[in-house]
Amino acid sequence: MATDQQSHFTTDDPIVEVRNLKVTYDDGDTFVLDDVSMDIERREILGVVGESGSGKSMFASAMLDAIPDPGLLSGKVLYHGGDGETIDVLELNQEELNQFRWEEISMVFQGAMSSFNPTMKVGNHFRETLKAHDKNVADGMAFARELLEDLYLDPERVLDSYSHELSGGMQQRALIALSIVLEPEVLVMDEPTAALDLLMQRSILMLLKDLQEKYDLTMVFITHDLPLVASLASRMGVMYAFQMIEIGPRDEVIGDAGHPYTRALLNATPNLDAPLEEMKPIEGQSPAPINVPDGCSYHPRCPLADDQCVREDPQFYTVSEGHGAACHHWEEAQDTIRLNFESASETGGDSDVAADGGTLPGDAVADRDGGHDATDFVGGSDGGDSQ
Amino acid sequence: MSDAQRPASGATLGDRDEEPVLSLTDVEVHFEEQQGIIESFREEPEVVQAVNGVSLDIFDQDVVTLVGESGCGKTTLGKTCIGLQQPTAGTVEYRGTDIWEAKRGNTEVPFDEIRQSLQIIHQDPGASLNPNRRIIDILAEPIKQVHPTLGSGERRERIYALLERVGMNPAADFADRYPHQLSGGEQQRVALGRALLMNPDVILADEAISALDVSLRVEMMDLMLELQEEFDTSYVFISHDLSNARYFSEHGGGRIGVMYLGQIAEIGAANRMITDPHHPYTNVLRWATPDLGLDAERAGEPPMRKIDVPDPVNPPSGCRFHTRCPEAREACVTDEPDLYEVEGVEQATACFRELDDHQYWDSPELED
Repeated sequence: MATDQQSHFTTDDPIVEVRNLKVTYDDGDTFVLDDVSMDIERREILGVVGESGSGKSMFASAMLDAIPDPGLLSGKVLYHGGDGETIDVLELNQEELNQFRWEEISMVFQGAMSSFNPTMKVGNHFRETLKAHDKNVADGMAFARELLEDLYLDPERVLDSYSHELSGGMQQRALIALSIVLEPEVLVMDEPTAALDLLMQRSILMLLKDLQEKYDLTMVFITHDLPLVASLASRMGVMYAFQMIEIGPRDEVIGDAGHPYTRALLNATPNLDAPLEEMKPIEGQSPAPINVPDGCSYHPRCPLADDQCVREDPQFYTVSEGHGAACHHWEEAQDTIRLNFESASETGGDSDVAADGGTLPGDAVADRDGGHDATDFVGGSDGGDSQ
Repeated sequence: MSDAQRPASGATLGDRDEEPVLSLTDVEVHFEEQQGIIESFREEPEVVQAVNGVSLDIFDQDVVTLVGESGCGKTTLGKTCIGLQQPTAGTVEYRGTDIWEAKRGNTEVPFDEIRQSLQIIHQDPGASLNPNRRIIDILAEPIKQVHPTLGSGERRERIYALLERVGMNPAADFADRYPHQLSGGEQQRVALGRALLMNPDVILADEAISALDVSLRVEMMDLMLELQEEFDTSYVFISHDLSNARYFSEHGGGRIGVMYLGQIAEIGAANRMITDPHHPYTNVLRWATPDLGLDAERAGEPPMRKIDVPDPVNPPSGCRFHTRCPEAREACVTDEPDLYEVEGVEQATACFRELDDHQYWDSPELED
């Protein structure tokens, strides 16, 4: 298994290669990003999922060398632009970095409301951005109007408004247009839709997909909302306790997850199809950066944990081609931790039919109950003292 | 078949004999937009119709989840339910007593007693707990109000018991902390505990789980429903997320009400609303709810014609959803639908398509 370590996180045509990326505070004692290695494939939509405090935002910041002081960043980020040139991102000086961040990799943050200057019309944000990067303003504004139209906005109205005159959903879409007006190769989005209602979130996701195809963008979508990103991403990474613990194609990670945490997270997610009684919270709490458990950081909450998990931090194991999970017992996890929405989809693809398919095969019930008992046991011994 | 489908007088579904805890009748809430002094001489203020003609009954140990987009009026309706927002028109009754008459002192039941029975949990628990007071002091406040004669020792015991009940062990340790020393989930448990200590009949949970991580939401909803029986309370639960609404209402044996621009577009038993929505807008919300299933269709085109909600200052004529509705016809522009009961099930929908003999079926489709 050690021989093909690389194959889970490498891809054929990577646009960004992240290797051994670490962020530490307190002179290296506290890890907020712990040795993350992975490729981002050209023109893919990569979903990165994790709970609050799992390190997912730090992953995005680290990729752009933008971590908050006084954090220490180490590792390597290689960027392969469209012209065949390779840039070592962490070696760039401040001026090069400023150019790089908008023109090659651009970023959209949560809460568009605070990203716009309230005393400046939205149109001026576009003009200033184009000027600051020495672009032709007329051409750039024509492109901006096209982008806004792609996002179902009225360009003249939006460009002539102050941000507070637009709804949250319109602001967020205007911000997405602003972030790609310099035609970057990669768009990194950190919870871009979290402040919006679900209908607007889904509408924006649909538009992002269209943009990605129209402009050949590579997208990295970071969120705690697993079902949301699962409807958009082609590949997914799952983070837990500052590490990437599972990487793979979307269908593999959702349907055939190898890490017990991924499976527990899937089962803890409210959805419309799974039988209600099978949605189960994950026992216990995620660790804080100052006391990440030894060995596998998930072992105190894991129903499959044994001595090996306490001693030895698992490397990536191959689940299938391009799909890796950092768990010593991934095969057992797949066999014993049943996914609750499977029973729904087994009865047929149509969700209207599936929603009332609540009966399970007998052996599946036994498996699930076994898994749940174990969870209770482990959770009870270690719950609630992480503060 | 169509003669059995009569316009429902309101959103009171099913023939329940019991008296409702809360009864809203034709409630309207309008807000005037603020104006500058010069404007105020020149023109009438613009009026936002946050809630428009809603009737709703809430029973003992009931669960009603209100879902809808931002600005659909679900929070305003929720606050009107528990007497925090005075309706512009219509009445809100608590066990037969008009809340706003009680406020004026015209009723036997004192207003304070009514307010005490109707509690709220906010979206952001961090902001709703006083940052300068310890948990034990925050929780002592409602006990002092409800049981003024209780000694401090007994109060402490009750608080410890409550903290343990909401899953915060060891209670003595948590009781001495300040709110910022708790996680978001723990803060929300304290806020829930504080509301329960007032022995309320109805708790308004306004997006109470939306700020929590997806993985913590099921746990919080389970806790709320467990405590519902123990404390004999009802919930008005507000969410923009249909899968949370489904979990909460279906587990609690309650209803889901879908709101659109200040009106109830469709209301019914939770499983009906998920498996067989009759209103095109409920269908849109279903589309918006991501699906984990592998065969499930990936986010395709939304079943609506426009993404953005119309301006609530000038809501569309007729059926308010007609500007976005994929099924809209000319009749929807001029006529306003009532809530029509779906025969044989606990569901009512404000769409002409429910009536077999409505002129909708003969009118031409709308073209944008």
